[in-house]
Amino acid sequence: MSAGAVFEPDPLPQEKPFFSRAAGRIFIIWLLMTAVGVFIGMWAPSHLLPNMLSGDGHTVVVTVMLFTVLAAPVAAFVYAVGAYSLVAWRRKDGGHPDEPPPDGPPMRGSGPATMVWLSVSVALVVVLLVWGLSEFTAAQAAQSNTLQVNVTGQQWLWTYSYPGTGVTSRSLVLPVNRPVQFNVTSEDVTHGFWPAALGVQVDANPDVVTVIQTTPDKLGGFTVRCSQLCGLYHAFMYSPGAVVTPQAFAVWLRAQGATAPAAAKTALVGSGAPA
Amino acid sequence: MVEGDGEVDARPRPSAAPDVHDGRGRALGLILTLVVAAVGLAVVALLFMTQTYTPPAGTQVARSLGTVTVGGATLPHVALSFQTYPDSTGSVNGKQFHPSGNPSWPAYGLTNQYQVPAHALVTVTVRQYDSGGSLNNPWFAKVVGTVGGTATVNGRTVSAIDPNNVAHTFTVRGTPGTDPGFFVNVPLPAVPGDNQADNGQYETVVFSFISGSKGIYAWNCEFPCGTMVASFGGPMNAYGFMSGFVRVV
Repeated sequence: MSAGAVFEPDPLPQEKPFFSRAAGRIFIIWLLMTAVGVFIGMWAPSHLLPNMLSGDGHTVVVTVMLFTVLAAPVAAFVYAVGAYSLVAWRRKDGGHPDEPPPDGPPMRGSGPATMVWLSVSVALVVVLLVWGLSEFTAAQAAQSNTLQVNVTGQQWLWTYSYPGTGVTSRSLVLPVNRPVQFNVTSEDVTHGFWPAALGVQVDANPDVVTVIQTTPDKLGGFTVRCSQLCGLYHAFMYSPGAVVTPQAFAVWLRAQGATAPAAAKTALVGSGAPA
Repeated sequence: MVEGDGEVDARPRPSAAPDVHDGRGRALGLILTLVVAAVGLAVVALLFMTQTYTPPAGTQVARSLGTVTVGGATLPHVALSFQTYPDSTGSVNGKQFHPSGNPSWPAYGLTNQYQVPAHALVTVTVRQYDSGGSLNNPWFAKVVGTVGGTATVNGRTVSAIDPNNVAHTFTVRGTPGTDPGFFVNVPLPAVPGDNQADNGQYETVVFSFISGSKGIYAWNCEFPCGTMVASFGGPMNAYGFMSGFVRVV
């Protein structure tokens, strides 16, 4: 354009046809992104989480799956609108350095759109809340024949004591199909007791005993890690664990030097307060 | 732009000038962005990969003692020896062992990094010069993971010591990627009284363990001999004093 050319005003965008075309494209992008999100939600939890050895572990897998799948269309909508806006609605001509960009078309509220948006959001949140509370309540329900295990974290090791047996170990060994109650504390700073394969994670706080329970329902080995950044060797703060048969558990207790098997049995089947 | 008084804005619009808005410019910009991002990620990854701890006093390589038969298996036999000091002022030929910390911090020495062969009998001799107190978890007063589950303290065989008279512990564990079940804990009894740096008294603790498979194993002290929260700060939370590595090769 020459220096003497007349500067013409920008034409106002044609709102309806333009928006309709954009809505169609955004819908397609949203559909593709939702499909990807749903696929990831269905595939990832069972492939990226450890082999679960308890009902709570299976619940964790299903919960992660459900939350991801329900969140996928919401996240995809935000990303689709954002991505399309960045590409299609950016200013293309560069503009004049002294000129502000022209206004976009005026926006007006839409009653139906607001209702749909609010209804969907509320429905999703209510579903997730009910699901979470019901699973949490089920996980905390008192059960009989509960095995007590006192879990102590200190920089940077876990130790497990089995009240009434005199046994303390660095390995967490549990009998299958028997409820277990972990009484978790720390000797120094805050650690995070996290046997991921059991679907359990709780902070270990000094001078506080935090109780959490689960029921291992599958034989196998697992690893207990610390989930709270706790200092120099946090990365090395883990210990081996195993879910074994009741017979193997009894043998293991004896091998660890259980001091009073009869008393131990009584204590182990109790479900009272932490020892 | 047409102004309110009818004048015409004849300023030139630069829309035809910048080339970055044409297709080739956009493609070039995209490629450059991706290249810069990839280079940035590569630099960060390289920095992570090159981050290795180097102890100021170097690595103590275990001394060979030949072979030994343990449980019917013939294993290489090697020896390590180190000390635990009530402070970190020690030096050899004018070079300080622990140049980066408070001189009043207790420390292992001469170094905190050891190298032993895989699947070998490792005999460790520790001279313990420090005072002590009570463990906050008495379980660490037990000897765990050594041959026979014992150690000798000044020639006397023990499987545990008084949890209220501990100076430090030598506690080794497997790390991710090595033997997860590997674990050795040996408590080191305290020397009576204070100011051991001057009187030179020490306790001699000897124990043996069978090393695991190749890899890096972490060790640290479980006696709260540091500063700040629960006495687990300071030397307990800094490399070179109350923690280190055992490199199994």
